[in-house]
Amino acid sequence: MSLTRNQIRLLIGAVIAVLSLVVQPRMSAFAQELFAEAAILAIFALSLDILARSGLVSFGHAGFLGLGAYAFGGLTVLQNWPAGAAVFVAIAIGIVVGLIVGIFAVRTSGAFFIMVTLAMAEMFYSWVFRSPIFNGADGMGGVPRLDIKSLTGLDLNNPVSFATFCIVMCILAWIVVEFIAITPFGRTLDAIRQNPNRISALGGRVFSYRLAAFALSGAIGAFAGVMKVQHTNFLSPDLASWIISGDVLIIAVIGGMGTFVGGIIGAGLLVYLKEILSSNFGHWYLFLGGIFIFVALVLPRGIVGTFLDWTDGRRASKSAPAATESET
Amino acid sequence: MTTLETRKLCKSFGSLAVTQDVTLTFASGKRYAIIGPNGAGKTTFFNLLAGNLRADSGHILLDGRDISSLDVTSRAHIGIARSFQRNNLFPELSVLDNIAMACALQQGIAPSFWKPMKSYTGLRNDALAVARQVGLEDDAQIAVRQLSYGSQRQLEVALALACKPKVLLLDEPTSGMSPQETARMDHLIKNLPRDITTIVIEHDMDIVLEFADEIVVLDYGRVLEQGTPAQIKASSIVRQRYLGEEGQAVGSRAP
Ligand SMILES: Nc1ncnc2c1ncn2[C@@H]1O[C@H](COP(=O)(O)OP(=O)(O)OP(=O)(O)O)[C@@H](O)[C@H]1O
Ligand SMILES: [Mg+2]
Repeated sequence: MSLTRNQIRLLIGAVIAVLSLVVQPRMSAFAQELFAEAAILAIFALSLDILARSGLVSFGHAGFLGLGAYAFGGLTVLQNWPAGAAVFVAIAIGIVVGLIVGIFAVRTSGAFFIMVTLAMAEMFYSWVFRSPIFNGADGMGGVPRLDIKSLTGLDLNNPVSFATFCIVMCILAWIVVEFIAITPFGRTLDAIRQNPNRISALGGRVFSYRLAAFALSGAIGAFAGVMKVQHTNFLSPDLASWIISGDVLIIAVIGGMGTFVGGIIGAGLLVYLKEILSSNFGHWYLFLGGIFIFVALVLPRGIVGTFLDWTDGRRASKSAPAATESET
Repeated sequence: MTTLETRKLCKSFGSLAVTQDVTLTFASGKRYAIIGPNGAGKTTFFNLLAGNLRADSGHILLDGRDISSLDVTSRAHIGIARSFQRNNLFPELSVLDNIAMACALQQGIAPSFWKPMKSYTGLRNDALAVARQVGLEDDAQIAVRQLSYGSQRQLEVALALACKPKVLLLDEPTSGMSPQETARMDHLIKNLPRDITTIVIEHDMDIVLEFADEIVVLDYGRVLEQGTPAQIKASSIVRQRYLGEEGQAVGSRAP
C-alpha cells in the first residue's frame, strides 16, 4: 500500500460522498430522512473536529448548534427574513459568538476548557428555555427550508432533494475543513495540538490561532444548526442541550478524533444505530452506550484513526530501514 | 556593542533562590558559554531570557530596550530563539515539517489559510537549508518519534536556527549524544554565523573552551566568575569549586 495516511483518509471520504449521493435517491423516503439527519450531524462533528485539531475538546458544542438554529429560526419565523439571508447571518453570529466566548474559553485547555464550553452552552440553553421570544421550553414550529428551486431545480421540501442537499453541504463542509487543514494555518493548529509551548517559543501566538479555530468551529457549528432546524422545521431548546454536545463528542471520538472523515462515519453510525435500537429496545440509549464503550476499548484511536495506524504499521514493515532508525 | 543585558536578575522557586542578582552583558556577535554544576540555575537563566519564566526582579534589555515584561512569543518575535535541554519537538511531524513550521512562523506565513502549505516552495527550501545545516538532510522525511535521540537533539537546534535569531540560546545541545554526534554538533555550533550572539550551556569543557569567546560560571544562581577561556582556566576559585585537575567539569552527566 503506497498511499499516504492523508490520501487514504481523503479516499475514504470521497467513497462515502459518492456512495451517499448515488444510493440515497434510490432508497425509501424514511431512509432519506436518516441520510439528511446523518449528513447534518456529520457537519456538526466536522465543526468539533476542526477545533480538536488545535488540541481543544469542547463539551458545549451544542451551544453553536442551538445558536445557528435559533438565529435562523428567529430571523425567518419572527422577522420574516428570507431564508437565504438568514443562513449567512446565522453563520456570522456563530463567528461573532465564537470570538467572544473564545476570548474566555481558549485561555484554558483540557478539563477547564470542557467546563467553560459546557457552562457557556448551558447558559444559552437556559436562556432559550425561558425566553418568551422563542416560546421557551415548548419551542417554535414553522421554520422554513431554503428555496433553491429556481437556482438548482431542487425542491427542498421533497425528502430526496433535501437529503441530497444535506449531503452536498456536508461534502462542502468536509472540503473546507480538509483544505484548511493543509494550509499553513491548519498545519499550525495541528502543531499546537502536539506542542503548544514550542509554538509559543517559535513566536506563534497560540491564543490567536485557537481563537480563530474556535470562531471557525462556531461558524460551521452554527451552519449545522441552520441545517438541523430546516430539517425538523422546529426550534427547541433541546438543540442546545448538553446531551447533543455529548453525542457529537462521542461521534468524533468513535470515528477518530482529528481525522474529519471519522466524524462523518461516526455520525452515520449514530443515526443508524439509534434507529435500529430505538425501534427494537426500550432502553436503547443503554445499548448505544454499551456499543460505544466497546468500540472505544477495541479501537482506542477511533474507527478511522485505528485503521490509519494499522496502514502506517503495514507501510513501516514494508520499508524497514525507516522504522529501524528509531532504536537508540 | 551590547545586544543582550541583564540587570540584577532574580528568580526564586519558593525559598530556593535559583537566580540571584545576575548582571551580565552579551556583546553582539560574540559567543558565550555558561557552565556550572547541576542545579546551578543555568536553564532557569535561559527561561528568564527567553521569557518562559518571569523574573521576580531585575531587568532584561535587548539592544537597550527593556523587554522584561514581554512574554515568550513576543521575545521570539524580536529575535530571541532557544533550544531546550529536554527535546521539545512536534512528535508527529517529519523533520522537515518541524523545521518548516518554525520557518512559517518566522516568516509570518503561519496564519494564512488560503493556500496549501505545500505551495510555499520557498518555505520548503528554507527548511531544507536548515536541515542541511544541522546535518539532518538524510532524515528529512522521518517522523520525529522514529528519530534517534541524537538526531532529535540536532532538530532541537534546527528549530531555534530556523527562527533566524539575533540571540541564540542553546541549552546543552550535546547532552546524551554519542561521541560522533557530539563531534558533529561541535562542528555545527562552531560554524554558526558570526552575526548571531550565541549563548551555549554546555558541560563538555573541550567544546566550551574552544567555542566560547567568554565563559560565565554560575553557581547556586550567582555569577561565580566570568572571563575568557584562558582566564577561566586560570581562575583559582573556578578550579577549586568547579573544575577538576584536568580541566574536566565536575558533575557533568547524561540527561
Ligand atoms: N519550575 C521549577 N519549579 C521549582 N523548582 C525549579 C523549577 N525549575 C528549576 N527548579 C530548581 O531550580 C534549580 C535550578 O534548576 P536549573 O534547571 O536552572 O539548573 P541547571 O543549572 O540548568 O541544571 P542542569 O545542569 O541539571 O540542567 C534546581 O534545583 C531545580 O530543581
Ligand atoms: Mg539545565
